[in-house]
Amino acid sequence: MLSTPATLAISLFLIIPVAATISVTFSEPEGLFVPYSAFFDSAFQRTVLWRTFEVAAIATVVSVVFGLLTAYVVSRCPPWMKSVLIVLAVFPLLTGVVVRSFAWLIILGRNGILNNFLQWIGAIERPLSMLYTQTSVIVALIYIFVPLMILVLIGVLENIPDDLLQASSSLGASPTATFFQVVLPLAVPGLIVGAVLVFTASFTSYATPHLLGGSRQMMMGTFLHQRAMTSFDWVSASTVAAIMVVVIVTTVLVMTRLARRLNPMAS
Amino acid sequence: MTLPLSIDQITAHYGTTKVLEDLSLTVGDGELVSLLGASGCGKTTTLRLVAGFLQPTSGAIRLGDKDLTRLPAHGRDIGLVFQNYALFPHLSVKNNVAFGLKQRKLASGERDKRALEMLDRVGLAHLADRLPGELSGGQKQRVALARALVIEPPLLMFDEPLSNLDAKLRVDMRVEIRQLQRANGTTALYVTHDQEEAFSISDRVAIMNSGRIMQLDTPETLYQRPANKFVAHFVGFENLIDLQVTARDGEMVHAQTHDGGKITLSQERLGAIPDAFVLATRPDGLVVTNDASATGLPATLGMRTYLGRAYQYQCQTGAGQLIANGSLATPFESGAQVTLVPNPDQCAILQPE
Amino acid sequence: MATRIHPLLILMTIVVYIFLIGPLIIIFGASVSDTTFLAFPPQGLTLHWFENIWEISAFRRTIVTSFQVALLGTAMALLIGIPAAYALNRHRIQLPGWLSTLFVLPILIPEIVIGFSLLRSINVGLGVPVFFALLIGHTLLVLPYVIRVISASLASFDFSIEEAAISLGSRPVKTFFTIVLPNVRSGILAAFILAFITSINDVSVSLFLTGPGISTLPIQILAHVEQFFDPTIASVSVLLMMLTIIVMIIVERTLGLTAVTK
Ligand SMILES: Nc1ncnc2c1ncn2[C@@H]1O[C@H](COP(=O)(O)OP(=O)(O)O)[C@@H](O)[C@H]1O
Ligand SMILES: [Mg+2]
Repeated sequence: MLSTPATLAISLFLIIPVAATISVTFSEPEGLFVPYSAFFDSAFQRTVLWRTFEVAAIATVVSVVFGLLTAYVVSRCPPWMKSVLIVLAVFPLLTGVVVRSFAWLIILGRNGILNNFLQWIGAIERPLSMLYTQTSVIVALIYIFVPLMILVLIGVLENIPDDLLQASSSLGASPTATFFQVVLPLAVPGLIVGAVLVFTASFTSYATPHLLGGSRQMMMGTFLHQRAMTSFDWVSASTVAAIMVVVIVTTVLVMTRLARRLNPMAS
Repeated sequence: MTLPLSIDQITAHYGTTKVLEDLSLTVGDGELVSLLGASGCGKTTTLRLVAGFLQPTSGAIRLGDKDLTRLPAHGRDIGLVFQNYALFPHLSVKNNVAFGLKQRKLASGERDKRALEMLDRVGLAHLADRLPGELSGGQKQRVALARALVIEPPLLMFDEPLSNLDAKLRVDMRVEIRQLQRANGTTALYVTHDQEEAFSISDRVAIMNSGRIMQLDTPETLYQRPANKFVAHFVGFENLIDLQVTARDGEMVHAQTHDGGKITLSQERLGAIPDAFVLATRPDGLVVTNDASATGLPATLGMRTYLGRAYQYQCQTGAGQLIANGSLATPFESGAQVTLVPNPDQCAILQPE
Repeated sequence: MATRIHPLLILMTIVVYIFLIGPLIIIFGASVSDTTFLAFPPQGLTLHWFENIWEISAFRRTIVTSFQVALLGTAMALLIGIPAAYALNRHRIQLPGWLSTLFVLPILIPEIVIGFSLLRSINVGLGVPVFFALLIGHTLLVLPYVIRVISASLASFDFSIEEAAISLGSRPVKTFFTIVLPNVRSGILAAFILAFITSINDVSVSLFLTGPGISTLPIQILAHVEQFFDPTIASVSVLLMMLTIIVMIIVERTLGLTAVTK
């Protein structure tokens, strides 16, 4: 069968290894859930999990809001300008996460452009330490995911037939009313899909929290790496991995179901 | 070379759903038979079985004395014309037509020569180097026809070849298809959901419903002597009236509906009438009259619509709602009490089902 | 439709785009700065940091590895992904429903978990050399993109064209290569480019699948930043951005860039 090689590859190199990782966490001689109770008993590890949720959630909400408004403007632009704006969003998207996170290292560093600028205008006397804070991680994640949201949502908005917008304004709705009463409800399923993408990618990110959060702002990704490669505690690392899988799979399943239910264009 | 096709008691499934049941059909040498029926009745499925894109669950398909049933599709040597043309978008018109010859390992000079000859026959030789995307719908269908004909297949099959064309072109193209098929004497199986198209192009027509053939006959027979209620309704006998013979008087037959409406028919015009039968009439087959002495079904007229050549009435009778046409000269008002008298020229006798 | 857009929205859009592009310009500035620490705006101009990339052997090696892994991994993903996408589109009814779910699993499972699990099972568990584990990881990473993009392309392919070829006597396998593939060329190109870029930029899968002498460029960048805070990384970043620009030009020439929102 033609799909056999792909099926085999995914089974052998994805399902079995990931299942093995998860099953390790249930095979401790002391008891079934010991690695999990160890994880949740530790205030530090709970903080890491909570911080990851918080950072991912804030980054998602901000990316969605700015992504939607920008996509709306872009999709209403004349064709040539739209092409330019799409290209300007694609470029950062295709540039790697490492490079884009690194940019914020330059901006937010002690001798970075932001400190220089603030000192130059006299707002501060000595450089602020802006790196390795929760905010620096969130800003960089927003920076990374806004282009993705813009492009996803341009696609969503362009799928809304122009007829509907014309019908709406012919019935006397102002552009703002049309946006909130016609465009937004129709865009909700696409918004949810985009938000899920951003949330899951933020939740599992490594490079950004590594560069901009360091060991002070440990998130699940960096914590997994630290457990595995610095502490060499593979059971603990596997536990972190299993928790990530559960969070992501649950989020995706719940949200895609919600998106399907809220889709007014579905029959 | 051209061969008769015979489909013998074919049953076919998609997954677990049965789409064809015990379907049998023969197309004589050089004959054109149409499959006619509503969308989803299994016409395309029948073609796909013959073409070899689908395996029947049971039954056999023969072309001449060759059993096709287990032959792979690429070895069946059947010319196919699709609804959406299915031209190879990346090949020129000439290479589209030459494609089948290439598979038959003809030298390239010979291929081009034959392809151009065939394109000339469909009047498109001047477009040989274009890509299909640059052609109009009618031109595309001509290329598809040339491509199917050039391999000189013993059997040609068409799946709604004209339904993507506009009305005027449809009529021209069907004449063209018929002429090419006649000229080559190729056996042909033609699928359409358009009754006029089927009747005008075919030697015989198979009317299909839910994966079965309801009747296979010449267009004239189908139109005048439908064999069952389905076919009768399909060809426009909109009124189906259940009747019981009460008396016979030579060739004259007196019959009655279950609620007592009386009708008199002549076997001379309609053939033998059994004791229990169904009278099928077109709207023109019921004459609306207010002559109280006429023998017919009493009716109350409902809504009247204007057809241009006649008025049409919804008629409430003891045998149910019937549709009758009345002359423009004597319009009746809604609510009028009238009598509906059958006109044997627009009637057919069916067995009760 | 030309509706009026609120001036505040336009202002916001301008700010968003400055936010998007500004940092990339800053990297460019930093890459030609003649200070030994990362500074912007640059005090004096130099190309020294670009030369420095070639002097550091770890960069030379990882650039080669990254390209090898991206090209081979993408090729393998195409090799198994194209038939899978074809089967999904051509024989959807005959295939079990879980199959298409299976093919999106690599997207659903966090990349970092895939990398870690491959390290445990394949690299440490089975002793598969690091390079091959890395290759497997990248193949899995890009496989869902390949299947999705090519499926989208096949979804608009009219399979009666394939049947027409077969009815004219062309064997099914030959038909696939002479009729189907030429008509999904642009889908394959799009899949290739998307997969290549994803693979070249990947951190999370590669993170655990590196070993002595074998690493990828993004991982090497992370390692370098930990030790040195000099503009070499900025110049590497500029090189990567140039690669992105080249890719975008290829996409524009072949597919048209607006295809990305489809
Ligand atoms: N690929 C398919 N998978 C499942 N069912 C199909 C498929 N193709 C057709 N069918 C079903 O088989 C029946 C017959 O279809 P078809 O032969 O295409 O009808 P027609 O050509 O007369 O419109 C329909 O009910 C249709 O829904
Ligand atoms: Mg059909």
